[in-house]
Amino acid sequence: MAANTWQRLLADRPARIAGGVLSAAAIAAVLAPWISPYDPTLQPDPVALRLVAPSWHHLFGTDPFSRDVLSRILHGARVSLGVAAGAMLLSVTLGAALGALAAVMGGWVDSIVSGLVDVLIAMPRLLVVIALVATFGALSPWWLIVLIGGSGWLTTARIVRAEFRDHLQREYVLAARALGASRWRLVWRHLLPAVAPQVAVAAALALAAVIPLEAALSFVGLGIQPPLPSWGNILLDGTDYLTSAWWLVVFPIAAVTLTVGSALVLADRLRTAIAGEERAR
Amino acid sequence: MTRRLIARALHAAAVCAVVATSVFALLQFAPGDPFATALDGTDVPPNVRAEWRARYGFDLPPLERFAHWGGALVRGELGYSASRHRAVAEVVRDALPRTLVLVGAALILGFAVGVGAALLQVRHHGRWQDRVLGALTLGGVAMPEFLVGLLAMTWLGARWRIFPVAGLGSLGDATAWPLWERAADYLWHLALPAAVLALAVASRVARHQRAALLGVMREDFIRTARAKGLGEWDVLLRHALPNAIGPVIALLGLALPSLVGGAALIERIFGWPGMGLTLFDALLARDYPLVLAAVLLATLVAVVARTLTDLVADVVAPRRVPVP
Amino acid sequence: MTALLSVERLHIGSGGRSAPILDDVSFAVSDGETVGVLGASGSGKTSLALSLLGLLPQSLETRGRVVFDGYNMLERAAGARRNLRGRRISMVFQEPLTALNPRQRVGAQVAEVARAHGERDAQKAMRGAVDMLHRAGLTDAGTRALRYPHELSGGERQRVLLAMALLLDPALLVADEPTSALDVTVQAQVLQLLRTLQRERGMAMLLVSHDLGVIATTCSRTMVLHDGRVVEDTATPQLLAAPEHPQARALVDAVRPAGRGA
Repeated sequence: MAANTWQRLLADRPARIAGGVLSAAAIAAVLAPWISPYDPTLQPDPVALRLVAPSWHHLFGTDPFSRDVLSRILHGARVSLGVAAGAMLLSVTLGAALGALAAVMGGWVDSIVSGLVDVLIAMPRLLVVIALVATFGALSPWWLIVLIGGSGWLTTARIVRAEFRDHLQREYVLAARALGASRWRLVWRHLLPAVAPQVAVAAALALAAVIPLEAALSFVGLGIQPPLPSWGNILLDGTDYLTSAWWLVVFPIAAVTLTVGSALVLADRLRTAIAGEERAR
Repeated sequence: MTRRLIARALHAAAVCAVVATSVFALLQFAPGDPFATALDGTDVPPNVRAEWRARYGFDLPPLERFAHWGGALVRGELGYSASRHRAVAEVVRDALPRTLVLVGAALILGFAVGVGAALLQVRHHGRWQDRVLGALTLGGVAMPEFLVGLLAMTWLGARWRIFPVAGLGSLGDATAWPLWERAADYLWHLALPAAVLALAVASRVARHQRAALLGVMREDFIRTARAKGLGEWDVLLRHALPNAIGPVIALLGLALPSLVGGAALIERIFGWPGMGLTLFDALLARDYPLVLAAVLLATLVAVVARTLTDLVADVVAPRRVPVP
Repeated sequence: MTALLSVERLHIGSGGRSAPILDDVSFAVSDGETVGVLGASGSGKTSLALSLLGLLPQSLETRGRVVFDGYNMLERAAGARRNLRGRRISMVFQEPLTALNPRQRVGAQVAEVARAHGERDAQKAMRGAVDMLHRAGLTDAGTRALRYPHELSGGERQRVLLAMALLLDPALLVADEPTSALDVTVQAQVLQLLRTLQRERGMAMLLVSHDLGVIATTCSRTMVLHDGRVVEDTATPQLLAAPEHPQARALVDAVRPAGRGA
């Protein structure tokens, strides 16, 4: 069943486009040191090359310190997407593990996990993370991953718990249990592969939530610290020049929007593929 | 209904207790206190510092301070804001209504626009109207509120000067203006931040509402409505929408915490002096009582709003308990 | 006598891949005539019923014409077709629970037919609806009209659908398996009511069913539908006495041992 869901997704054009955009962004991030036209931190001439509008020499223009914006965005992708990918992996793993645990164990474990999710999901994640970061002071990207990822497992846990409970009542699971399969073997061999598409939906949604979160943190000066570029702090540099240098805000905004939009489209099309597969059975 | 109300109230209380405890606990790890920022580098003698700390209770052990703070909280006292030289309750009394106005206006406007867009999309399902609105709402969901705010501020505010870029009202002796002029000026300043937030709400609502409507449009009773001779708009408004709007209201409730978070950033960008802006100022000043109050109240706003949307969703939920 | 409804070479495709749902179907119904459409499930009879009011899903491609009151019901240009539905031609559906709006009181759902066709006075429309519900055999119609569909029994719900269909005295009623979702005893009552109301009003009726017993007691003429084609179209007694097509014979033979055939 899961295999067919992936085939459906591959056959879907919007999904392929969204996947392509995300892959391209990831490749650009990895290759940034080799494909960037300039050093992102180099300030060649803070007087003559300050705030140069986009041209053939500087496709995305330069910033107030005469640094090349395109190179900063490419290197920023490394940081922003790296933090986002790490945080997404952490939150999805944590969420899937806790959701599965709650569904399989039931009883008081389920009560605790579900109760915790119910309470925590009502909190504004952005504000909580901001309060945390502000408390600890400037953080390294690794700590940002831990913080952002650690606060994002709720949605995944909800989805995985619901899916697991659904599957635990289906006949093939009952049959396998009747044949004496152990609970955890069942989880590993049957349930996890069966809910993999739903976990992928949760992962895409988590990515779509995490990219803006990092951007917002860096934008208020609490995330990635200069001179290391990230999409959020490139924006922050641009806010003082809103009227004179549009390229400082437009390009990082486009980068965030394109990646988040692609993740959302992917989640959406994957859901459609899952629903189509359920109907076809 | 009463039982659900009580359960929801307990849930809200639990959320606030957890938030209060964890935020307080975390701030204990924070390096420095308000006096550190104010006094470091100056030559205030240590005994004077100690006396000031003692006056505001900073010399007590954390647990005791938490007990003090919690006890005062229950009595409705939120402490004293060292950075603003006022009681936190007073600061909150000024700031909270402004946030409520902003978020409330955005919710109402965004919900109406979102439902309207979804209705248009479903009426013209698969045609260009559907596609254009679909692309717009995807953009609205994909672009975080604060980025939309930044763009709106750049062009509508700073470049074309159609809207004011910051604050609650125009500078100058506004108190001397007639009431309606002051009201108009207030709305004028509210318009851009509220519209930016409303756009985010509308995009989310429209996407959920469209999916829900398309689901209901496949139901048998829609066919019955058409067989009666009703026009398509009557079918949509009288039969499809009442059966499709409940889940969307519930989903909106789930999205509220992130909306409140987004509102805080919008306040900062547009200089709207609500709880969000207060929070950022307080963080910079290490004004703990104010930080705590701001995060707590933001959560409270999210929780109360969610409780309300849940109750509304209950009321409009489809009556579909079949008789055996 | 001119035909009230004439179906001319109606073809409904299902998107090209599989066999068509209806293939080259032609027939006519005159004023006051009762015609049965008999067919097993999957024979295309529900699609046929829906196409008569132009209610088919837009994803299906259609060819041919369905002319009612001189208007082709398959044409999308909405106004004229909408004006005929519910007033001149109406329909009763198979599953009365899902065919009713779960969030609207049943009286309002009946009254809505009048309001869709120009009745401005809400109270008058409601009085008409309650009166019609009463004639459709809903006991205590005045208070029952204020109930929601899920608060009524299956038979009562089908009476509501019937009241809705007959409120404006249509010239043709299309009834798609109107009794198959009901208990046997209720089935007989609803069928009896359908016959009575039809005779009272001199209304034409197209009764779609898989149940020969239902059709035999109601319709003067019967068409047998098999795999999207009309394989037999004769007077009902003749069909019962000497079915020609093998599929028709199978359907007739199937009920004979139970003793309900002629």
